[in-house]
Amino acid sequence: MDHNLVDVLLVEDNSHEAELTIRELKKHHIANNIFHVKDGEEALDFIFGVEQFAGTRDIQRPPKLILLDIHMPKVNGIEVLQTIKTDERTRSIPVVMLTSSKEDPDIRRCYALGVNSYIVKPVDFIRFADAIKNLGFYWLLLNQLPA
Amino acid sequence: MRYLKTMKRLYINSLLVFGIFFSSAQTTDDHEYQIKAAFLFNFAQFVEWPANALPETKAPLVIGILGENPFSTYLEEIISGERVNGHPLVVQQYKNVEEITTCHILFINLAETDKLEQAITSLKARSILTVSDNSNFIKQGGMVRFIRKNNKIQIQINPEPAKEANLIISSKLLRVAEIVH
Amino acid sequence: MPIQKKLMRVILLISGIMLFITSSAFFIYEFYAFRQTALQKLSTVGNVIATNSTAALAFDNHEDAYEILLALKTEPQIIAASLYDKKGNLFSHYPANLAINNFPVSPGVNGFRFSVSHLEGFEPVLEGKRQLGTLYLKSDLEDMYERLRLYGTITISVITLSLLLAYLLSKILQKSISKPILALAETTKSISDKGDYSQRAVKSGEDELGWLTDGFNHMLEQIEKQNLLLNEFNQDLENKIKVRTAQLETVNNELESFSYSISHDLRAPLRTIIGFATMLEENFSGKLDDEANRITSVIKINALKMGDLIDDLLSFSRIGRQEIKKTRINTIEMVRQVITESAIPNNKAGIDWAIESLPDSKGDPNTIRQVWINLISNAVKYSRNNSQQRIEIGSFINIDKDQQVFFIRDNGIGFNEKYKHKLFKVFQRLHSADEFEGTGVGLAIVEKVISKHGGAVWVEAAVGKGACFYFSLPI
Repeated sequence: MDHNLVDVLLVEDNSHEAELTIRELKKHHIANNIFHVKDGEEALDFIFGVEQFAGTRDIQRPPKLILLDIHMPKVNGIEVLQTIKTDERTRSIPVVMLTSSKEDPDIRRCYALGVNSYIVKPVDFIRFADAIKNLGFYWLLLNQLPA
Repeated sequence: MRYLKTMKRLYINSLLVFGIFFSSAQTTDDHEYQIKAAFLFNFAQFVEWPANALPETKAPLVIGILGENPFSTYLEEIISGERVNGHPLVVQQYKNVEEITTCHILFINLAETDKLEQAITSLKARSILTVSDNSNFIKQGGMVRFIRKNNKIQIQINPEPAKEANLIISSKLLRVAEIVH
Repeated sequence: MPIQKKLMRVILLISGIMLFITSSAFFIYEFYAFRQTALQKLSTVGNVIATNSTAALAFDNHEDAYEILLALKTEPQIIAASLYDKKGNLFSHYPANLAINNFPVSPGVNGFRFSVSHLEGFEPVLEGKRQLGTLYLKSDLEDMYERLRLYGTITISVITLSLLLAYLLSKILQKSISKPILALAETTKSISDKGDYSQRAVKSGEDELGWLTDGFNHMLEQIEKQNLLLNEFNQDLENKIKVRTAQLETVNNELESFSYSISHDLRAPLRTIIGFATMLEENFSGKLDDEANRITSVIKINALKMGDLIDDLLSFSRIGRQEIKKTRINTIEMVRQVITESAIPNNKAGIDWAIESLPDSKGDPNTIRQVWINLISNAVKYSRNNSQQRIEIGSFINIDKDQQVFFIRDNGIGFNEKYKHKLFKVFQRLHSADEFEGTGVGLAIVEKVISKHGGAVWVEAAVGKGACFYFSLPI
């Protein structure tokens, strides 16, 4: 996969959940190129094209959408969000929190930081599948992204 | 019997009628002496005699008439049954002074002046109330005189001879009388 | 009437009555004394005149008689006098100018008597024992009345003055009684108005009022002490309650977050299980044999079931801990909504709904709604095998117990009543999961909610004949 032609950057530490999410996104052909990283550090490396991604990633060619979980080891989702949204070069990348936390402080913090959307992962699988489908449709097909 | 009684009554009644005819002619005089008799009787109540004149209650109070009796029966009638201070009253008739023994009130009916004077003088020492009609009576030493004034019998009293005779005349009597000396 | 006025009234009344009685007694005595005096005087005068007039009568001396009577000029109260002779004929009269008809015609009974306005009578004129005539005297009572008037005026003045004095004195002296009483009353009133039991009454004097004041103050002390104790006790209780409530809240909150986090954390892996099972189903069902597919299906079904269980348990736990807030519920509206929302997926069209008009009820809308949901969905579920599904919903009033009773009757499979005591317990089911899905929590929730409302739940059923579930709510 070309790291610069990524539709969705999925930042999720639980690989099974990641698998289910990816499956749903690929189903209905909402997204094709989905890159999965397991923690915030890796996510930032990918976005900024540094470290292990120094050669493969061009910061000017970001993924179309970032799906960001909050609770992750090393660097958590909110920190990642902050970093992305405070940097001129990455600020305009659409970020959607996809997390199980429905804690109000988390939600406020994310919006304060400029998150584009906040989705709480439904515990019910059917609804979960539905939510992924909908958000995928919306952000990748309906929503207009900058060129 | 009945016939007798009725006759007696007739007799008495005719006498009375007769008497009334007679008396009416002398009404004024009789009436006068009736009053005088009453006065004489009344004197007994207004005069006090010394003890020796009326020694005891039973002693009679004598009203004497010296001379003719002008009172007819009035005096007796008036005094009949009466007592003055317990003393019974008796009327006595005297022809002359010497006959007078016990007497308390004496009505002197003597016309002759010298006889009158004589009588008065001889009665001086005795406790007898002398009464008369005579106009000179007081002058001659009499005590009480009846006079006629305004068709009324009034009394003149000279208290001195009475005093000399130890007679006490009640002031009440003196008041009603004309005091003369 | 205020106590001061009462005291004054008593004092003045007694004084007044005493004065009045005393004065009246004296007055009456004086009145009779006057009369006696007047009588005696007239008698004496009569005596004197009579004695003096004996001679005049005896000697028929009218002038003297008149003069004697004239002496009565000095006695202005004697307004008429006359002398009668022995025979009872009028002899002389005084005053000369008074007409003869003013004098008695003839002498009457001896002695002097009071007529209405005069004192008159006859005195025999006696010389010694002999009656020479009779004297008549008539005296007016003017001077007597004059004196009585004077006496009366003096009496009234004295009474008035005395009463005035009594009034002034009593006004001053009654204070010695009324002042302590008023002070006590004042204090009492002040205390009851302000509720301030620290006040004390002022004691004045060592008499019974003093004791009363002491007793009163003692009582106040007691009240104060007790109030203090009560307050302390109250405060103590309040504190205890606060602590307990805080503790309870803490526990509640802990439980809540515990339950929540349990359910949440339990459900996350479930999601994954179901997801992967679905993946198997969707992507690999062709590549697997029937058995494998069946197994996959079983895995998925059970995972789903577990999710339901977790949800129901969370629900049950939450309901147990929640405060219910009672408001008016439009029952028929709620029932209709529930039927629409829950029954459509279960083939509403085929069900014969017999719904009576349901009265409004009083309860917590959310939880009562849950009750209706559970009962109605049960009714639908357990009668779905009956081609002529009929569900009746109605109500009646139990007057004895002051409750509204609602019932849902279905003509479904029913159950054996001998197991009905198990029905409302958590996870207890009377049918197998193959026959009818369900977690066995629904009725437990119903029972919990209704009993929290102060009502009761009961059921009548027979195998094959359906069941009728009743629940009551206080009116």
